[in-house]
Amino acid sequence: MRSKPVQLAIAGVLFVGVGVLVAVFTLALALLGEPDDNVTALTVGKIVIALFALLTLITTLGISLVWLERKQLGRMQGRVGPTRVGPFGLLQVVADGIKLLMKEDVSPGSSSKAIFYVAPLLVFVPSFVVWLTIPLSEDLVVRSLDLGVFFFIAVSVLSIVGLILAGWSSNSKYAILGGFRSAAQLVSYEIPLILGVLSVVMVADSMRFTDVVEAQATVPYIALLPLAFVVFFISGLAEVGRTPFDIYFAESEVVGGPFVEYSGAHWAIFFLAEYVNTFVVAALGALLFLGGWVWPLGDLGQVPAVAIFLGKTYFLAVVIFWVRATLPRLRIDQLMNVGWRLLIPLGFASVILIAVQRFYGWPTWTLTLMSLAALVVAAWVQMRMQRKDAVATAQRYAQRAVEVQPSRRRPGPESQQA
Amino acid sequence: MIGTFKGLLTTARWLLKRPVTAHYPEQHLPVQQRYMGFPALLMDDTADEPFCTGCMVCVRECPTQCMSAQMHDNPNFTDGTSHRRKIINEFEINLNRCILCGICVDVCSFDAIEMSYEHELASYARTGSRADLPQLLNLGRRYVDMSGWSPANAEKNVAEVALAKRAAAAAAKAASAGDDAPADEPTEGGE
Amino acid sequence: MTAEQTYDTVDMMLNMGPQHPATHGVFRMVLTIDGERVVDVTPHIGYLHRGSEKLAENESYGQVVTLFDRLDYVANLNNELIFCRAAERLMGIEPPERGQYIRVILAELNRLASHLLFIGTYAIDLGAMTPIMYGFRERERIQNMFESVTGARMMHNFIRIGGVKEDVPADFVPRVRALLDDVERGVHECDRLLTFNEVFLARTRGVGVIDLPTALSCGLTGPSLRASGMAYDVRKDYPYEVYPYLAYKVPVGENGDCWDRYYMRVLECYESLSMVRQCLDQMEEGPVMAQMRRIARPPKGEVYVHGENPRGDIGVFLVSDGTDKPYRVKVRPPSFCNLVALRPMMRDAYIADAVAILGSLDIVLGEVDR
Repeated sequence: MRSKPVQLAIAGVLFVGVGVLVAVFTLALALLGEPDDNVTALTVGKIVIALFALLTLITTLGISLVWLERKQLGRMQGRVGPTRVGPFGLLQVVADGIKLLMKEDVSPGSSSKAIFYVAPLLVFVPSFVVWLTIPLSEDLVVRSLDLGVFFFIAVSVLSIVGLILAGWSSNSKYAILGGFRSAAQLVSYEIPLILGVLSVVMVADSMRFTDVVEAQATVPYIALLPLAFVVFFISGLAEVGRTPFDIYFAESEVVGGPFVEYSGAHWAIFFLAEYVNTFVVAALGALLFLGGWVWPLGDLGQVPAVAIFLGKTYFLAVVIFWVRATLPRLRIDQLMNVGWRLLIPLGFASVILIAVQRFYGWPTWTLTLMSLAALVVAAWVQMRMQRKDAVATAQRYAQRAVEVQPSRRRPGPESQQA
Repeated sequence: MIGTFKGLLTTARWLLKRPVTAHYPEQHLPVQQRYMGFPALLMDDTADEPFCTGCMVCVRECPTQCMSAQMHDNPNFTDGTSHRRKIINEFEINLNRCILCGICVDVCSFDAIEMSYEHELASYARTGSRADLPQLLNLGRRYVDMSGWSPANAEKNVAEVALAKRAAAAAAKAASAGDDAPADEPTEGGE
Repeated sequence: MTAEQTYDTVDMMLNMGPQHPATHGVFRMVLTIDGERVVDVTPHIGYLHRGSEKLAENESYGQVVTLFDRLDYVANLNNELIFCRAAERLMGIEPPERGQYIRVILAELNRLASHLLFIGTYAIDLGAMTPIMYGFRERERIQNMFESVTGARMMHNFIRIGGVKEDVPADFVPRVRALLDDVERGVHECDRLLTFNEVFLARTRGVGVIDLPTALSCGLTGPSLRASGMAYDVRKDYPYEVYPYLAYKVPVGENGDCWDRYYMRVLECYESLSMVRQCLDQMEEGPVMAQMRRIARPPKGEVYVHGENPRGDIGVFLVSDGTDKPYRVKVRPPSFCNLVALRPMMRDAYIADAVAILGSLDIVLGEVDR
């Protein structure tokens, strides 16, 4: 679409951006150093600086999604998205952030102030802490934990507490409804998410992210485990509250849910947490199912590896936003139905299929086959139960429509000839 | 599933199409020929005075009472340079109240008021949208420049056009004087 | 703590509106909810009351048209049409045929615009963000067409007592044909995006069901009534203007749920497209305004005239005392009467359904409150 030099320039800027990211991350890692028993002021200072660097980095990655989403949604809807601030509207998010920070921080008179102001942090902190173990490439990881996957799941659940507290402390009916909804939704969808991740862990035989990625050097797990990927992706959407599962802050129902009474900087933190969480889910999908930084053509070096990983992550984010542009929102009971009656059985099916395959030592391609078969069955059942009936109804209506013929002839030369 | 995938394809297709957005401050969409913006007063260039004689028909017919007018004796009439005995002295339209219905244009017998193409009248002053006589004539000038309006081709003038159509349609009954519009202009208030 | 302990739950009152994003203006529902379930609903109206009916008593007949523009501000031309028909009936005049064709073309285009807006807002009520952009895009095209014909995008004041204000521009017919092709694509796009979407089906099928007897007793009209299975359409049953010259279908549903109400409107979009095309084919040159005095002054008497609006059966009861101002104007607004059905529809609804049900009635508050 754009001319060649502009394309090259964009590519160059992107590559430099990834380079800066890698440099900052490496620097932060160096500052953090190895765990040490004697704590001095220097180490504390180093750690604080490193944390600030990482926080900035992750925040930047998170808010890059805001721009991406607005731009993509705009284009999908025939609009242009942000264009005014900065080139391609890139700085729009920054402008919005500054605006939010300048705004008065209002809290309802009858809210529980302490909890009200702590809740946004409780939501944001877990989404930041999970980055402790998410690797950007083989060496670019703060701590490559043995139980990295487990750590991720254990920590990310904590943000529910923040949401419930936000809903409860606001002392607003919409907020409390949203808080309850978020509790119900996030707790139920944690299970299929875990089942999806568990399938990967079973195949990879490790809970360390770097091992899981290395295991996908030849074939990414999305080819082996489409069923697990679908389960993971849908419940991931629900975990971060993206459409069609944006029930707990549904704008047309509970007007923002737990966030309804927040304004200014506190609201900005919620907003940031939401997008960082989205990025985390996309990154997790890229690591567990798309092969992370692995490239079929062999080792490329640090910066390209991170670029590949980020590319895969952004690709998943684009899919998430694509779904958002297309689907309406489910109802709370339907959400529960999808979670408990569809995703959890499918997740267990995935785990059992893998267990059977591992136990009998069947070749791995049987996994793909079995997964696809399970998916097809699920889709077929859905079509039988829902779509077929609706299409038949629509056809019936088209036939049932009462036809009205012209009851009088229009007096005029044309109609007299006819 | 099929419905969802069809929807996904629909949205994805738009990703490749050109957006339909017009970037407003840089790019103004042209108004249509008949666009009815805020009302403006027109100048009679032959006599160098407004067409408006201050007959108050528009003021009375306005559904929102957004206008006020005042006439006085026309000095040019005594000079002999004009055929108007009375001429408008003060005219004010509160454009905030105006609902752009075009009734004032319909009822005007002198083609003195027209719906101009002006539609961007944001101002920083509270009274910014009160237009007095010079401003209204200014709007009228701009409208004439933009539309090429002249008394001869008053396309937008409904009374004229309607009269012409009526005359054409009722050529046979041309003699009947019942539908002469200005003659049928009774004073209001006689309930 | 014994096992027999029962828990006392208290229903919660939830104030939805008048500034809730899903109540389509300034409508207020007081929901009594038990958890996520709606136990009862009390609609509160009147936030947009402007006294249009009373105001009309102090305006001349020509000026009242501008008030009718502002009743159902999504389907202005349909509203103008109904008042002008009432005044014409009272005065015993009939507009010339070309005028009637222009009126019907504009009214059907406005019905399209209104239904497109409905599809968009309904989707946004259910959480889908894209159809409203597609719907608005097409509606914008229609409004551009209105602008070139009437000079205004929304408040036209174009349909006058005795005909229309002026003839259409010279390039009207080819432009409308091109417009119809564009709009048909747009309607089809919304249709494909939404109608058989699984999530949409789940949210609307079997939700807000109202059976035909209840619907009739609530005074439901328009697409909402047709969704319940009765083929009542004023255009068909009490033909007016040039509708008798046109061939069209009146879509009828059977379940009376939200999806039916939505789908009726989608089908009507296609019917409106075909009706406009027929009008363009049949329209001939001629006058557009009946011969009448410039100031309308109907004789003493009263008249009730009704017609089919996008939202249902709109009626105008007009009393004249022989002066140039109406003695009394009473409007039967379809949105207001359709709102009566809100309560029976809300049986066993969730909060999310409350939004879906209200959206499927497609109310316009300008008309409800007048």
